[in-house]
Amino acid sequence: MKKRRMFFRMITASLMRRRSRMIVALLSIAIGATILSGLVSIYYDVPRQLGAEFRNYGANMILTGSDGGFTYAEFNIGKSVIPAADIVGAAPYRYENVRIREKPVVAAGTDPDEAKAASPYWLIDSGEWFRNSGELLMGAKVAESFRLKAGDKIEVSFTPEDQQEKAADNQAPEDNVREFTISGILKTGGTEEEYVYMNMDDLEALTGTADRIDVAELSVSAVSDKLKQYTADINSAVPEVHASLVKRVTASETTVLSKLQALVLLVTVVVLALTMICVATTMTAVVAERRKEIGLRKAIGASDSSIIKEFMGESMLLGLLGGIAGSVLGYVFAQQVSIRVFSSSISFRPLLVPITITVSIAVTGLSSLMPIRSATEVDPALVLKGE
Amino acid sequence: MFGRMIRGTLFRQWKKMLMIAFTIALGASLASAMLSVMLDVGDKVNQELKTYGANIRVVPKASSVLSGLYEMEDDQTGAYLREDELGKIKTIFWTFNIVDYAPFVTVDAKLDQGDSVKVVGSWFDHHMALPTGEELDAGIRSLRSWWDIESGSWLNEQDGSGSKGAMVGIELAEKLGLSVGSSIHVTGSKTDDTYTVRGIFDAGGEENGQIFVQLNTAQALDGLEGKVDSIDVSALTTPDNELAERAAKDPKSLTVAQYELWYCTAYASSICWQIQEAITDCVASPVRQVADSEGEILNKTQLLMILITILSLIGAALGICNLVTASVMERSQEIGLMKAIGAYNGQVSLLVLTEVFITAVFGGAVGFFAGFGFAQIIGHSVFGSAIALRPMVIPIVAVLVFIVTMIGCIPAIRMLLGLRPTEVLHGK
Amino acid sequence: MSLLELKNVYKIYGELHALNDVNLKVEKGEWISIMGPSGSGKSTMMNIIGCMDKPTKGQVLIDGVDISKESSKNLTTIRRDKIGLIFQQFHLVNYLTAVENVMLAQYYHSIPDEKEALEALERVGLADRAKHLPSQLSGGEQQRVCVARALINYPEIILADEPTGNLDEANEETVVDLFHKLHDEGTTLIVVTHDPEVAEVAQRQLVLRNGRISKEVVNDHFTGKIRFTD
Repeated sequence: MKKRRMFFRMITASLMRRRSRMIVALLSIAIGATILSGLVSIYYDVPRQLGAEFRNYGANMILTGSDGGFTYAEFNIGKSVIPAADIVGAAPYRYENVRIREKPVVAAGTDPDEAKAASPYWLIDSGEWFRNSGELLMGAKVAESFRLKAGDKIEVSFTPEDQQEKAADNQAPEDNVREFTISGILKTGGTEEEYVYMNMDDLEALTGTADRIDVAELSVSAVSDKLKQYTADINSAVPEVHASLVKRVTASETTVLSKLQALVLLVTVVVLALTMICVATTMTAVVAERRKEIGLRKAIGASDSSIIKEFMGESMLLGLLGGIAGSVLGYVFAQQVSIRVFSSSISFRPLLVPITITVSIAVTGLSSLMPIRSATEVDPALVLKGE
Repeated sequence: MFGRMIRGTLFRQWKKMLMIAFTIALGASLASAMLSVMLDVGDKVNQELKTYGANIRVVPKASSVLSGLYEMEDDQTGAYLREDELGKIKTIFWTFNIVDYAPFVTVDAKLDQGDSVKVVGSWFDHHMALPTGEELDAGIRSLRSWWDIESGSWLNEQDGSGSKGAMVGIELAEKLGLSVGSSIHVTGSKTDDTYTVRGIFDAGGEENGQIFVQLNTAQALDGLEGKVDSIDVSALTTPDNELAERAAKDPKSLTVAQYELWYCTAYASSICWQIQEAITDCVASPVRQVADSEGEILNKTQLLMILITILSLIGAALGICNLVTASVMERSQEIGLMKAIGAYNGQVSLLVLTEVFITAVFGGAVGFFAGFGFAQIIGHSVFGSAIALRPMVIPIVAVLVFIVTMIGCIPAIRMLLGLRPTEVLHGK
Repeated sequence: MSLLELKNVYKIYGELHALNDVNLKVEKGEWISIMGPSGSGKSTMMNIIGCMDKPTKGQVLIDGVDISKESSKNLTTIRRDKIGLIFQQFHLVNYLTAVENVMLAQYYHSIPDEKEALEALERVGLADRAKHLPSQLSGGEQQRVCVARALINYPEIILADEPTGNLDEANEETVVDLFHKLHDEGTTLIVVTHDPEVAEVAQRQLVLRNGRISKEVVNDHFTGKIRFTD
């Protein structure tokens, strides 16, 4: 019992009283451990985080009616196949031909919030996103041809089906007319610029018919295999709805994301390998510094094994402390990276703590073992003569 | 004598010096590998993101105002871009950033059954010899990388086999019961033609119901020789910033200096502007779905790499610092002796610094090349291409290694200066 | 049986005969000093007696055990059990306090016992400095800690290598007084020294020259008689 106490007394004395040297060694072990736990957390979180970034490309799944449109009820059943947490945005669209200043324009009714979530790349060139009833988001090309700008008020008219025959007979049809305020001008560089967007309720009121969706765009955060599974599930759950993947988005995402993941993995491996070697050389130097002390201990009767035990004890204690510090700092680092880069927080991985500590103990221990062994082979007489 | 002493340390204590050099080499290799990867990751990821297709679309000025709005009966009255100007896209200031492009002409044709079908003419693997001496294979084969060829193959423009061939979307092929090798007859407003189906593709979009043929083949159907109705351009761009956004709205609002900066940076908006300068009566605009997302992902990846690089630089710096301190301190006895026989503090410090400096130069040089090697491993295994050697990495690594080793020497030198020769020699 | 016996001991480094046919007997309780110019083989002899080196040829018997045939591991055990070492350059572990340095020897020998270690320090007159680190102690005090460390395990032989080499006169006297005290208590002392004053107080003075014992002086402190042998 007493012997063990002396053992710890010596180790703590060495750590406490040689503070400046030990802090430097500890710091390098801690940095090594920080890099380990930080990079591994990032590596595990990057696919999730980057996957979320790739949702910026917009919808990767499209729902269409197997036969024309489909209803909200069908839409919701289809949506429920996918876990809610995976759905970034699910925007239903209904397209109708309406007229502005007697010129035909395609109007799309949708849910403004969902549309924004499903198509984050849509740019509001001027004005703001549409929200309330009576507001309308106008495609840039439409706005250009009418010379309209955000804030303008316009009338949108729609000819109901029963009136269309009259129109065909060159009679004046009784149109449904509603007044809208242009909340903003939409720029996408694509066909969306040729449409006007309004709340689904407004479109339903304008047309006088409700509960019909032509297309729903879903932005789902999942890998391509899972997406395929979801489409198959939706197609079998709701026969009225046909789900398909937007190949351009899903295929490209798989390619790019796998490259980025490989990049982070390789970078992690290279950085880790080099850092571990750095820690090892530091420990080698720390031990080599104390050859004289090892010689002295041998001269006063220490056996090789007890010297190895003591110095290893010390190194492993350093490894333990460094590992603990590294786990904490690594988490903080990963968290900072995540917040700065992806503006979302990282999940804490409890398993990483014991792994970091074990690796850091193993690396410091192994890297001290060699120099300690070689130091014990030193002739104490030579060391003590001040060689 | 000074040189002799330095040589003495370097050659006779080569083991210790090797250890320092090794650590410095490790640190330097880490730094240069990470810096090289970090500086190149933008370009590399940018290349990868090209799989999303074109990020710039060029259309004629007249059609940019929605033609359908004016209920134009006949598309042919719409303006077209000139096919003979296509080469000009590769003459703009940012020509090297244009990685791919393809013109399109879309013709509404009739099938034998009377159904109407869109016949799209484009480039597949169009070979261009540019006035600059550069050669480029451009077309939808690379621009539509996400297409799955269900059967058959891509049209081959270069061996001439493509001229009467067509690629058919999978939905249309299923509807008409077409397979590779079968013929399809279409009638345009001017002529009619019979194509041989060379490939059936799944594009996962509306293209699945269309027929893709060579540009001149489609033009002939409607008598549109020499005309194209849009161009898709895939360009390497720099993510937009506030300047680029302002410029995109109105380049004239910029000051001369800002305009220069904007024009000479590969923003999507400045490349668009330059394309508009090169091609008559066109509007080039970024495809936001691609351009905007590209910018986001590029920025994030770069930021991520920067942070990882900073962390590893700190790690490398600490490792070097630590070892330099430890190994210089080890020599207290020798330095005490020097002081005892009359060396001034300055002389002792200079000696130590010079030794460490020489070691650092060797270690740093070895480390730089090793690090560049690591960068290549990363480049080849992730992106399948080499990481470019950026000249700026060399000074950064050099300065970093220099500063870090010198900082590493500070505690050691302070200790050495504090040494009293008697204490050292009497074994304290 | 003599406590220590060297029989025809040679130590040869290449051409150099550091020890050349040395014969020596040391009885229990004896106080011997070894003198000689540099290169005479003092340190080699010291290392061999201290079980830190083995002779090339010949026998070294400690308590009748021939150490020249033992493995280095056994040598460590013998050194630990039988010999207390005192060095010219003190050699204390600089991050351990005086008492901890003494306990270190106990620790490697058997069981550390702080009380006993403190008593040892008291014997060398350092009871009040027990909690100080070596850097806070003067040279003489450090050497006294070394003496305390050397005698803590009641070794058969205390082997001192230039114990006063780094000390001023006052401290030298303290250490020599300590040796007297140890000698009176019956400890066997072998002191390697350059200093004739330190050498004189021993019972027997050996002078080494070119690896051989060239002169032996026996000081009879009670009768004042001095005998020489060559």
